[in-house]
Amino acid sequence: MAKMKKKWVVLCSTAIAAVYAAGYVTTDTQASIPGPTQSPQAILQPNDGRPGVASPSYGYSGDGGSSPSSPSASDSSPPSASRPVGQYTDGSYTGMGSNRRGSIEVTVTIKNDKITDVEVSHFAMHYSESDIVGLPDEVLQKQSAKVKNVSGATYSTQAFEDAVQNAISQAKNG
Amino acid sequence: MTLRQWFKSPKGYVAIAMAAYLLIASAWSQDIKGMINGLIAVGAALVVDVICCLIEKRKRILPDGAVITGLIIALVLGTTTSWPIVAGTAAISILSKHLLVHRKKPVFNPAAFGLMLSIPIFHAGQSWWGAFGDLPAWGVALILIGGYIVTDRVHKFPQIFSFFGFFFLALFLMGHYSVGDAADALRPPFINAALFFGFFMLTDLPTSPAKVIDQIVFGILAAAAGAAVYGAFGGLMYLFIGLLLANLYHLLKIRLTINASKTIRPTVRKPMSEAGSAGK
Repeated sequence: MAKMKKKWVVLCSTAIAAVYAAGYVTTDTQASIPGPTQSPQAILQPNDGRPGVASPSYGYSGDGGSSPSSPSASDSSPPSASRPVGQYTDGSYTGMGSNRRGSIEVTVTIKNDKITDVEVSHFAMHYSESDIVGLPDEVLQKQSAKVKNVSGATYSTQAFEDAVQNAISQAKNG
Repeated sequence: MTLRQWFKSPKGYVAIAMAAYLLIASAWSQDIKGMINGLIAVGAALVVDVICCLIEKRKRILPDGAVITGLIIALVLGTTTSWPIVAGTAAISILSKHLLVHRKKPVFNPAAFGLMLSIPIFHAGQSWWGAFGDLPAWGVALILIGGYIVTDRVHKFPQIFSFFGFFFLALFLMGHYSVGDAADALRPPFINAALFFGFFMLTDLPTSPAKVIDQIVFGILAAAAGAAVYGAFGGLMYLFIGLLLANLYHLLKIRLTINASKTIRPTVRKPMSEAGSAGK
């Protein structure tokens, strides 16, 4: 086994660093595209059974930890079907949770201050979606975004929790 | 072999690096679960390795390779992974080392084989926490320092340069033409995973070639297959699939070399009378 000379090690390392830098710069715009958190996707939908979710754009969040999307429900035209009499407004809400391992978008339906349906509308984690297949039912049972951590799927569980919490917070009155 | 000699051996270097990373990552994250997983993985790997060696009636049992395999598994699997999954992954890795062999050498990188199968079998979540994927950028510097020291010791620079060069080039092209999710692969924690994988798994001596030209082909093959799988499917198995395909190339190369040497130097059969007298 031939030992490589230091000069070649330095030269090759520099060349590879240059290729990496080129790739990093090229993908910089893709990496910095904000997720649907900033876009007006979390629209309050009339509770008419339709999955009221527009297709959002996705991108690398770029931050270190889990970052639930900030509430951004646009109530410019509140649907007539909503009844803001309780703690939450009836309707279907889209929430998103993301971390360094990807993002999850959920649609949460609320009726009479109860979560009646939770659906994973977009799964963009680097793990299998089957890992969290039981979590929507758990939310319905507990009526809370706080679910039991799935062993070996911590990042997906965190992103799911954040997404549900994000959707619920949009439904909250006041 | 004395302890001092072992520390200076390639396995000694890798074991020290893995143990150091386990300690640093655990200390930084202030999470003892990773250390516990390390003990479970190393313990399971040692037990299975010793049992296999006893069954094979080996005269010399030195399960240092099992320790390294166990440490790598613990550093790749998420710290919240349950202990049966950690132990099961370690057991699969060591079994592959003893069962999938050619001329008494493992065909596949044991850790890569076990970790890849742990995804479909156990639905194991891999966080590569030991590659400092959740740490600030200086974590990458630690991987590079340890990686260069180990690569220099095992004389595998042609292999890792061809791997990283081709892998980054493929990601650059994927990013340029908006194929797959190249942006993620070039950033933490995925870039940490790729560096850790390249320096400490790709350079495994028994399952990778020694000749410079073979090292270069091996590295390119692992990178090309890994990048193609990532571009098409994403996920986390892409690096392992690339390495296991490169391992198969290495096996094929060995077999072709053996066949070629047999063709050049055919076995000379002694006449029956001569063979009979030689035996007496």
